[in-house]
Parts: sequence; structure tokens; C-alpha cells
Amino acid sequence: MTPSLTQILLSGAAVAMLATPVLADKASDTLNVAFSLEPEPLDTYKIAGREGLILARHVYDGLLYKDMDSGTFKGLLAESWSQPDPLTLEFKLRRDVTFHNGAAFTADDVVDTLNTVIKPDYGTRYAISVDWIARVEKVDDYTVRIHMAKPFAGAFEMLAGSLPIYPHAYFDAVGSAGMAKAPVGTGPYRLVSQEPGVKYVLERWDGISPESPKAGAQIKTIVVRTMPELNTQYAELMSGKLDWMWRIPPDQADRLASRVQIVSAPIMRISFLNLAPVAASGDTPLKDLRVRQAVAHAIDRDAITRAFAGGASEVLKAFCNPAQFGCTDAVTQYAYDPDKAKALLAEAGYKDGLSLPMTFAAMPRPVAEAIAADLAKVGITVQLDELQYAAGVSKWRERQAPAFFSNWGSYGVGDVAFLLSNFFGGGADDLVQDAELSGWLHEADTATDPELRKADYAKALSRIADEAWVVPMYSFNVNYGLSKDLSFRPYPDEFARFWQSSWK
Amino acid sequence: MAEEVIRPALWRRGLRNVALMSGGSVVVLMVLVAVLAPLLAPHDPYSQDLTRRLLPPFWIEGTDPTHLLGTDHLGRDYLSRLIYGARISLGVGFGVVLVSGLIGISLGLVAGYFGGLADMGISFIITTRLSLPIVLVALAAVAFAGASLATLITVLGLLLWDRFAVVSRAAAQSLRSRDFIKGLRAIGAGQVRILFLELLPNMRAALIVVMTLEVANVILLEAALSFLGLGVRAPTPSWGLMISEGRDNILFDPWLTALPGAALCVLVLAVNLLGDGLRDITGGRLK
Amino acid sequence: MLVYLLRRLAVALCVCVAVSALSFGLMFVVGDPAVAIAGAGGSARDAEAIRHAYGFDRPYVVQYLGWVGHVLRGDFGQSIYFNMPVTEIVRARLPVTAILGGVSFTLALVVAVPLGIVAARKPGGLTDRLALLLAVTGQAVPSFWLGLMAIVVFGVWHGLVPTSGADTWQGYILPVVVLAYSAMPAMMRITRSGMIEVLGTDYIRSAEAKGLPTWQVIVGHALRNAILPLVSLAALQLGVLLSGSIVIESVFALNGLGRLAWESLLRADLPVVQAVILILSLVYVVLTTAADLVNAWLDPRIRGVR
Repeated sequence: MTPSLTQILLSGAAVAMLATPVLADKASDTLNVAFSLEPEPLDTYKIAGREGLILARHVYDGLLYKDMDSGTFKGLLAESWSQPDPLTLEFKLRRDVTFHNGAAFTADDVVDTLNTVIKPDYGTRYAISVDWIARVEKVDDYTVRIHMAKPFAGAFEMLAGSLPIYPHAYFDAVGSAGMAKAPVGTGPYRLVSQEPGVKYVLERWDGISPESPKAGAQIKTIVVRTMPELNTQYAELMSGKLDWMWRIPPDQADRLASRVQIVSAPIMRISFLNLAPVAASGDTPLKDLRVRQAVAHAIDRDAITRAFAGGASEVLKAFCNPAQFGCTDAVTQYAYDPDKAKALLAEAGYKDGLSLPMTFAAMPRPVAEAIAADLAKVGITVQLDELQYAAGVSKWRERQAPAFFSNWGSYGVGDVAFLLSNFFGGGADDLVQDAELSGWLHEADTATDPELRKADYAKALSRIADEAWVVPMYSFNVNYGLSKDLSFRPYPDEFARFWQSSWK
Repeated sequence: MAEEVIRPALWRRGLRNVALMSGGSVVVLMVLVAVLAPLLAPHDPYSQDLTRRLLPPFWIEGTDPTHLLGTDHLGRDYLSRLIYGARISLGVGFGVVLVSGLIGISLGLVAGYFGGLADMGISFIITTRLSLPIVLVALAAVAFAGASLATLITVLGLLLWDRFAVVSRAAAQSLRSRDFIKGLRAIGAGQVRILFLELLPNMRAALIVVMTLEVANVILLEAALSFLGLGVRAPTPSWGLMISEGRDNILFDPWLTALPGAALCVLVLAVNLLGDGLRDITGGRLK
Repeated sequence: MLVYLLRRLAVALCVCVAVSALSFGLMFVVGDPAVAIAGAGGSARDAEAIRHAYGFDRPYVVQYLGWVGHVLRGDFGQSIYFNMPVTEIVRARLPVTAILGGVSFTLALVVAVPLGIVAARKPGGLTDRLALLLAVTGQAVPSFWLGLMAIVVFGVWHGLVPTSGADTWQGYILPVVVLAYSAMPAMMRITRSGMIEVLGTDYIRSAEAKGLPTWQVIVGHALRNAILPLVSLAALQLGVLLSGSIVIESVFALNGLGRLAWESLLRADLPVVQAVILILSLVYVVLTTAADLVNAWLDPRIRGVR
């Protein structure tokens, strides 16, 4: 009875505005996309969030393109390239490229864009993407040289995604803010309108060079909207007003699976529980190997993975993602066995249990609570402490967090080098400081012989498992919700490529 | 003599007051539920079962008869958590009012009875306290002291004494000029004695009403803070926390959010009705 | 009137000083701000350098005066998280909260006063009972929960209104209604009780006896007299609304001051929290002072004219 007033007011308001229905999907050749987070202003060099970068990659092109299937680099704005000396890269540019505003693409655009964004006062978000470039030189209208400031293994990665080329005359005239306001690129889609942070309308750019690896887009229009409430996205997806959403938690993905398409794609990120034998200057039960082993045996990782990760996630058998080079499961395994855990604790002198502070960051609270509940069953009382990632890491480095539950993405790279050395290579995050272990890792990281590298990593992973320094949990996946008509292929780098999408 | 005449009248009025009786009986029921929680709850509210997560309540298909109201995202029995949640709400409600009442009444008595400089000083403290954005300050205090039941009660107790202070100050002011107090002062009775043995009992009715309404206020505030993640700490079954935990599933399992919210509404409504009823039968001199 | 005005302003000023001291003190209750600013990966030496650079090693009183000096010039310092001036961030977020609070308050007032008057005409009648029921439930329903339920029913199931964000005016509908519903009961009740009291006086009875039309009696005479407590309460409620908007903004994903303060708390971005607490407090002080002055103007007895 009481909400009657509310209801009256609301229905009045609803009638008054009668939201314009969104024209959707296949029939109108419009792909409706929803993000939960607001895309940032569309100057790639200043974007940190994935949403803005995805949009930007549709509008802008860089010199190179990374083919995810073969893992090789292809020319995008460049036709071919060479390395005359270790610190110089020379690019021959394509001659048939036109910007969305009709300007022809030439060497001037490359030189002007890159020389602008490498200046510190431009404020490029990630220094790592540009600080390796000393300067860019025009050789002729279709040849440029990048002079490197230092040797940098990631140079091609950066050129392939993070360094788009802007039209120089326009860019000089309007600057970063102007680019963001009315982006002009060479990509497969051009931005026709935007309400920044709210709604973006992209239209297929038919002037794209047919040689471009990003050519061949099928869908005519893409409408991207920000909808912070996931529940609204589910409702719109089910009612057909939405064709694409992502990062759906597993529970909801299961519920949606019968009504829409759910695609689960594995990514490089893994979760794990770090156990520090040296936290609080060694005054922790975790300094005893048996206690660490007991922790590993006490956690029902299968149940937790099934309940909270779902989809393409796997329980990890070692401290690495099976998709990574150098990963092996031929290490000591700790099966779920509470009785054995209790026995180990008793052996270590903790018959009546013990109490353990556990810090967690960037992980869902329910997962941490499930771990805590498992540990409680064998007599380990856990005090959960949720922190922001940076705060959690610093607590770990300061040795104030004997148990740290978090995750690591290996920068999306399929090589354990980007995981193991961070935690066991002798750096700030390495609380174990095992010289032999970090020696193997150093050798493996710098060697070129794959067999030698594999052997070293296997030794390292065995040591880590034997000592139970880490309880590996599970690999991550991303759930995408798609309308039944849409054909979309996800990639492990979490970049949506709508120019490859089509209607079924 | 007079007391004996008044009392039955008060009782009669009380029994005839619908708000008082309905609110009162629900409150008594809730208190019983909270006290007897271990006997009433079918399961341990903390025990997880990851294989039986998000089971629906009895009116939805696919239910499990051992979990009448289903289970939450960690497979914990929802009915048991709701029952134990009453403990948190009422415990925090009464705990905070105990602290805030002590502070507020002491300040109000001193200000109202002595007047002058003491009154000016205390009135100033009250005004300052009223001007602080209460939710934000409580959030900040809990964030920095670390979320726990004890912190929460202390923080809210230290913040929510204003209504007690205002009411007891006004009551003390009006009582101090009454003849019996003047008489006591004339015969040289101690100030403390006058304050606590004479003034206080005489404003009992007013304070009980304030206390009741404050309990309701505190219960809502606790729920809001827990909802924002800076109140009671998980896995403690606080209704506010349960609402926030159910939020992700609100489309597919709206009952996870609806049930604790409904429980909260019923309890607060009952406590408010009880307060209103008490005010009505004791003369309604208070706002 | 002038004496009253000055006295009232002096009190308000003192409260401002006390409130600013409290919000400043917050920074130090919490722990070492230098460590917070040094952030993740900051060493003890970094913290020491920051302590010196920011002047945290000076006596508290000196720091406080310095801070107040900056605040008076509209400078709330630098946000640790955004690494930009707090004033800029606050200025960007303030309109959302102001609109939310202002519109909710107006809506609550527009509903509460007529409802209170109608209810007071026949205490115990059907309208009165319904009005009271509305008020009692309004006080019992947690606004954040009502907000969530409204999102599900009106936004998700029926798709009538946007469920989050304030990019269009429609985005304000649900939060405004929910917030107004929580502020309405107190104002309705005070109007009602004030009106009942006034309507029962001989003065009104004689006005009615003189044959004045009912609405004229109510608006011209009764309401004028019942309005004093309402003005005080309204100021108070507006303060409560601003405070309550913290919860509502987080439910509806509105980028206002409240959500900013909450998120800043979670990120330990103290300068922002300080600024928001101070601003909300000052708004409250201004409002209550204004209400007192309005009342004094309406009713000479308050200013001590007897």
C-alpha cells in the first residue's frame, strides 16, 4: 500500500518520457555493446582502461598489427620494416591509406604523432610505451626511421597496439583534447558521434585499405553504451536490446546460458595464495614447511574453482598458467585432504590450531571467505583483511602479510618468465630469497635455448611446490554474453575485435 | 498513593494503543528470535557448502527442504543467517544506545540543570556534532579503526548522543525550576544526588521514548554502513551486509536482497511504532 | 534583530572553526599521512621526504592554520589518488549532489506539507491514517534497499528508467524519489502536528466563525503559525539528505560528492574525505543558521523581543 505514491510518481514520470526504443541487431545491422565502466577520452596515449582502448583500436591504427593466432607481427600502416642497426627501426609505409577525414596518410603523420607523444609534457599515460623512442625521422614521404633510446624487447608489442598514428595536420590543430573529442584515424570504424563516457556510435569505414589486416569488417554500425549496473545489462541482453557484454560473473553466466550465447575465454591471469615464511621477522607459523603444506591440503581448490571461477577456468597444478611456455604440472601435488592437513598441523605442534592473518586484494571477497572457511575446518583461524591491490602488495613487501591472496596477469604474455621472476627472482616481491632458485630463473629468463629454459623452469616450479611457498588456485576466464545472432571471437588479450564479428 | 493510581491507567492506555501493542509484540518476538537464535536456526550461519550454493527459498522450484529460505552465494543457510542477523541488528541497536544515552543524558543534564557557561559549552558541542555529516564521519572512523562489531558500537555511540542531550537538557531545564527541586536545593542536597536521583527518574518516560526511536535509527545506520562495506565485517550475518552481498544476484535471485531488507523494515517499523506508542501514552510532549 | 543576528552568526562561525578542526584532525587520527602519500612501494625515506615537503613535521597548530588559510582561498590540497587539486574534483562532483539533494528536498516538501495539512484537518480520519502509514514506512525502509528494489522493478524488469548514472535527467528519477521518500515523513509529521495545534486555537475558530473560506484560514493563518518548527526541521532534513546521498549515490552509481567521499575512503585518499566532510558540514551550518534567522524574522519572540 505504501509505495503507492512512489508508484504513481514513477509511472507518471515513465509515461512522460517513454524512452526511445533502441533499434537493435541483425535487422538494422547495428551491434549494441555495453560496458560497465566509462571509456576514457579517446586519445589512446592517455587511456588506462580497457574500454577506452577497445574503442580506440577500432578507430586508430598503429604501424604494426599482432596476429594472435600465429603470434607474429604484420604490417598495418607499415608495409615492411627492417633494422639497419640495433637501435634503429626503418618502416616502409603503405601508400593507399586515407584518414577518416579524407587526408592521405604519409610519413609526416608518423613523425609528427610519435615525436609529439614521446615528449614528457604530452602526458602519455604509460611511459613504458614511449620511453624507448629517442626520436622519429622522416626519410621520404613513405619511409620513417625510429631511433631507439635503449634496446627494448617490447618495441614491436608497443608499435602493434599502443602507438596509433594520428593525422598530423588535424592533430597539430586540435591537440590531445581535440583528438578525444572528434577522433580521426585510419581504423576499420570511424566515430560518428559520442556522448563522452556514455554513448559512442561507430560506423564501418569503407575507405580502409583492402590490404590492411584489420580490413573486412562486416557489421555496419556499432553502438557502445556505458551501463554501470550489470543487472541492467543482463535484462537488456535477454530482451534483445543488447548484443554484446562481458565480464559476467560465473553464477550469472550459468543463469544466462540458456537464454543467450555465453562464450567463456581463458586469459593469462592466475590466482594464488602466497605464503611467506619470513613475514613478521620469521615469527609466523608459516615458517614451518608442514604448516604451509597443511594450508595447501586444507583448501578445496576444485570446489572453489567450480563455484567461483567457472567457465574455462582450471585448477592450477603448479604456480603457472598451463598456457604459458615453461609451465609444467610435474611437481608435488597437494590434494584436498583435511585430515592430512590436521595431521601435519599436529606434527608441527599446532594441535589446537593456530591463527593466521590473510590479506587479499583484487580477488572477490567470497573466494577469500571460502578459503578462510576451509582453513577453519582444520583449525586455522583466518583474519581476512581486504586491501586495494597496491596497499596489499606493499604490505606483502613489508613482510606484514604472512598470507597474501591475489592474482597476476603476466602482462598477458604466454611465458612463465613474466610470472616466476617477479615472485622468486630476488626482487622486492620475493620474500623467500632462495639464491639457487633465483639463479635458475635468471638463467632461464636470459637463455635462448628453449630446452634449457624449460628444464630450468621445471626445477624452479618443483622447488616452489616442494616448499609450498605458493598455493596455486585457478586460471581466470572472461565470460562474454552475446545475442544469439552474433558471431564473436574472444582473444586471451581481452581486446574485443568487432571488425572480425558478423551476424550468423 | 498517586503512583498507584497513575500506573494502572498507563497500562490501560498502553493496552489500548494499537501502535504500541503491535510494535511492542513484534519487537519482543524479534528479541526472542535473537536471544534464542542457536535454538531456532536450523543450521550454523557460518557453515559453507560450495556444492549447494544459491538454492532458492521454499516458494520457488528447485528448493531444498532442509534450507527453507535457500542458501547464499557461499552455500550458507539463509534462514539461519537471517535469524542470527537479528542479533547483530538488535545488539548494535541497544549497544550503541547504551553508550550514546550515557553520553547524551550526562551532557544534557549538566547543561540543563546548571545552565550558564556549562549550558553554553554543551550547546555548542551539540551544535557542532549536529553539523557533521553523520554517515560520512562514521564511515571514516570505521574505515580507520578497522571494521568490527566493537568499533562500530563505539563509533556510533560516540556520534549519536545528540538527541539524548537535546531532550534531557530541555527536560532538566523545565524541572530545575519546579518546587521539589528548589526545595531539595534549599535543604542542601548534593548536586549529584539531585541530578541522578531526582531529575533523572522524572524524565524517565521521555528518555525511554527517545531511546526507542534511537534504536531504530541505529539499526538503519548499521545496515547502511555494513552495506557500504564499512560496518560489520563479513562473514558476520548482518542484514545490511547480506543486502550488499545479494546485490550482484539481484536480477536472478532477488530474494537474496529482498529478505534481509524486509526483515530490516519490519524490525525498524516495529521499534518506531513502539516508540510512537510510548510517546502517545506518556503524554506526547516530545517531538 | 541585529543583536540576535550577530549572536547567531558568531555561533555559526565558532561551529565552523570546530568543524574544520575536526576534519583536519581526521588526517592525523588515521595514521601517518606521509606514508599514505608515499603509497605502495614508498620507502621510509620517501615518506620522510614527503613529510618534510608537505610540512607534516611542523606543529599541528601551524599546519592547521596553514590548511585553513588555503581552504579559505578555496584550495583543499592535492588528491593522493587522482594527483590533482581536490577543489577541481569536488567542483566536478558537486552539481550531482546539489541537484540530487535539492530536487529530493523540494519533492519531499511539496508532498509533505499538503499531506500534513490535509491529514491535520481530520485527525484520525482515513487520509490522516494513510498519511501516517506512509510516514511510518518511510522512516522504516532503508533507502539503499528501496533503491535496489526500485532498480530491479522499474529499471531492470520494466526498463522504464535508467538505473544508474546521471547522464540524463531520467537518471535522477529513482534516486530522487527514494531519497525524498526518506526525508518526507519527518516534515509531514511536523506539519501535521503543528497544524492540529493551531487549528484547535480560538484564534482560528474565530476566523472560521467570521466566515472566511477554509483554504484562506489554513494558508493565511494556520500555516503561517505552524511553519516555524517546519523551517527548522527542513534545514535539518536538508542536511540529513546530503548525508544520506552518500548511500544513494553509491546505489545508483551517481558521481556525486557522497560517492566520491566513500570511494576516497576506500582508497585512503584523505584530503578528499576531509574536504567533503568540511563542505557538507559548512552547508549544514549555513542552512541551520539561515533557518534560525528566517524563524526570527517570522516570529519576533525568538529574537528576544517580548
